[in-house]
Amino acid sequence: MSPAESTGYPRLLRAVVRREVVLFLRYPFEALGAVVVLGVLFAGIFLGGTALAGQAMADSIEGVVVGFFLWVLAIGAYGDVAGDVAADASWGTLERHYLTPFGFGPVLLAKAAAKLLTHFVYAGVLLAIALVLTGTTLELDLVTILPVAVFTVASAFGIGIAFGGLTVLYKNVTSWMELVNFVLAGLIAAPLVGNDLLLALPLVQGSALLQRAMRDGVRLWEFEAASLAILVGTGVGYLLVGYLVFTLCQRRARRLGVLGDY
Amino acid sequence: MGSRPEARDRPRSTETEHRPATGGARAADETDPGDGGEEVALRVEGLSKTFGSDEDAVTAVDGVSFSVERGEVVGLLGPNGAGKTTTIKSALGLVVPDEGVVEICGEDVSTDPRTAYRHVEAMMEGARNQYWRLTVRENLEYFTAISGEDPAAVRDRHDRLLAAFGLRAVADAQVRTLSRGMKQKSSIASTLARDVDVAFLDEPTLGLDVESADELRRQIRDIAAERDVAILLSSHDMDTVEEICDRVVIVDDGEVVVDDTVEALLGVFETQRYRLTVRGVEPSAVVDRDVAVEAVTELDGRVRFDVTADSDAVYRLMRELDRRDARLETVETVVPDLETAFRNVTGDDGPDDRSGTGDDRAVDGDSHPGTEDDRITTGGEGA
Repeated sequence: MSPAESTGYPRLLRAVVRREVVLFLRYPFEALGAVVVLGVLFAGIFLGGTALAGQAMADSIEGVVVGFFLWVLAIGAYGDVAGDVAADASWGTLERHYLTPFGFGPVLLAKAAAKLLTHFVYAGVLLAIALVLTGTTLELDLVTILPVAVFTVASAFGIGIAFGGLTVLYKNVTSWMELVNFVLAGLIAAPLVGNDLLLALPLVQGSALLQRAMRDGVRLWEFEAASLAILVGTGVGYLLVGYLVFTLCQRRARRLGVLGDY
Repeated sequence: MGSRPEARDRPRSTETEHRPATGGARAADETDPGDGGEEVALRVEGLSKTFGSDEDAVTAVDGVSFSVERGEVVGLLGPNGAGKTTTIKSALGLVVPDEGVVEICGEDVSTDPRTAYRHVEAMMEGARNQYWRLTVRENLEYFTAISGEDPAAVRDRHDRLLAAFGLRAVADAQVRTLSRGMKQKSSIASTLARDVDVAFLDEPTLGLDVESADELRRQIRDIAAERDVAILLSSHDMDTVEEICDRVVIVDDGEVVVDDTVEALLGVFETQRYRLTVRGVEPSAVVDRDVAVEAVTELDGRVRFDVTADSDAVYRLMRELDRRDARLETVETVVPDLETAFRNVTGDDGPDDRSGTGDDRAVDGDSHPGTEDDRITTGGEGA
């Protein structure tokens, strides 16, 4: 018996990523479907916006592209955890993920992280499509973009984990999740004027920093320390709160005997 | 019991237990292999779980205790709502019990689940329980990896499993493309893909045709013996339980009512039991005499006597019938099976939703051989 010690975590991550990649390659139509749907959605926003707003759209197109890129990442980070839990519950595989030496939380986190990796690929492809479609150029300094994007989506990821817990407990929380989808879009677009409390909300600070990085070419080390601290604080904070909610939910589900029921 | 030759050949526990209805605590030393004893892989003690509160409270499990040794296959049986599923899920920590201790290879599931889960896997959802869009081998590898083992290092074990379950030819086929029986086998194989010491199998033969079920039973039996795995299985299929289980734990109303070897359980009902059907006699005239008649059934001009006794009693009944000029129609020897034993113990028509599946040779009387207050009270080990 080889115990699941710290050396096992990379293996766990490899296994869940491998499963994602295998399914991605085995069912490319499904994966492409998501890209096509979101691509068409963006084209609709862009073309519709240009027809209606003309110059105003042209002036803000860079912001729209960055916002769209972040939104694709955020809905992936947020929606996939709960979606994954619901799918596992319906397939009858959820309880097997509970019975591992890693613990339920770490396994689901690993699975969600694997999904997030695929979403970075989707978001990258969609960003390229958006840039080509709009004829826009952005600063794509990965050293800045990646850490900012990771901490930004971490807050959405935290909300997703909380919803994963609620899914374990209540099974179907789809309508609530759709509502939160809209809220996330709103937070990405939230104007940062006047109210610093807004910065405590998920995505808001990250969205602002990502706009500055990608539109204005601000480098990671050029951001104010306080701004970065808020970015990291909200990212890690929402992640921890989400994990706490998840833990409480799965504990209650086990007390009620509904874990794995679907 | 010629259907279980392989079980007879295997070493088994010399312990035969008869637990009181309250599911009393097991002796602490049962967890200790001791001299010559078997190693207990799963120990469940005083497990209780009540769902809801106040007037809505339902006690699903009430002081359940049992254990499973390495290499032993134990069947968990019970009528619908008896508490089997809650027992299994509580034993695994998937349901938090109100009381009780569960140890898997000596590790407490409640206080140290992650250590306990190094030793256990469960097939709770039959042929589901695995990813249908992955191949059979990918499932084995995936569930091995998420338990912390390196799939590449145990490829030999996986190869042996695939061969044992007849899955080698379809190892690289997606599970969704397989037949129901193959899916079920793949699911069990993925459950045993890790180096487990304890495996829970819920309904392993559900939905399989006779031939596939037969084959699967043999394969489970072989693997339990070969890998020294403790298997706790629940099943509606009495043939499965009778054929592959060393021991049976029957729960009813949340309590353990029987914990005994299959042989001992069947042996209770194997004491000479005969059924005589005659014409031309009043039943009461016979049963009032000194004849051990188990049950009397009147059947359209005939009378059926069920006799469970030694041969003297049968001869006495024969003489009595002869004296009264009864015309003998048939004499049958009643062969016991687990279904009959189960029904006698639980007063149920059959495990779970089965009804009317048992043979009509079941006794009709209220008292049954070897039973006392609905508890099997055989002494010593069975055949």
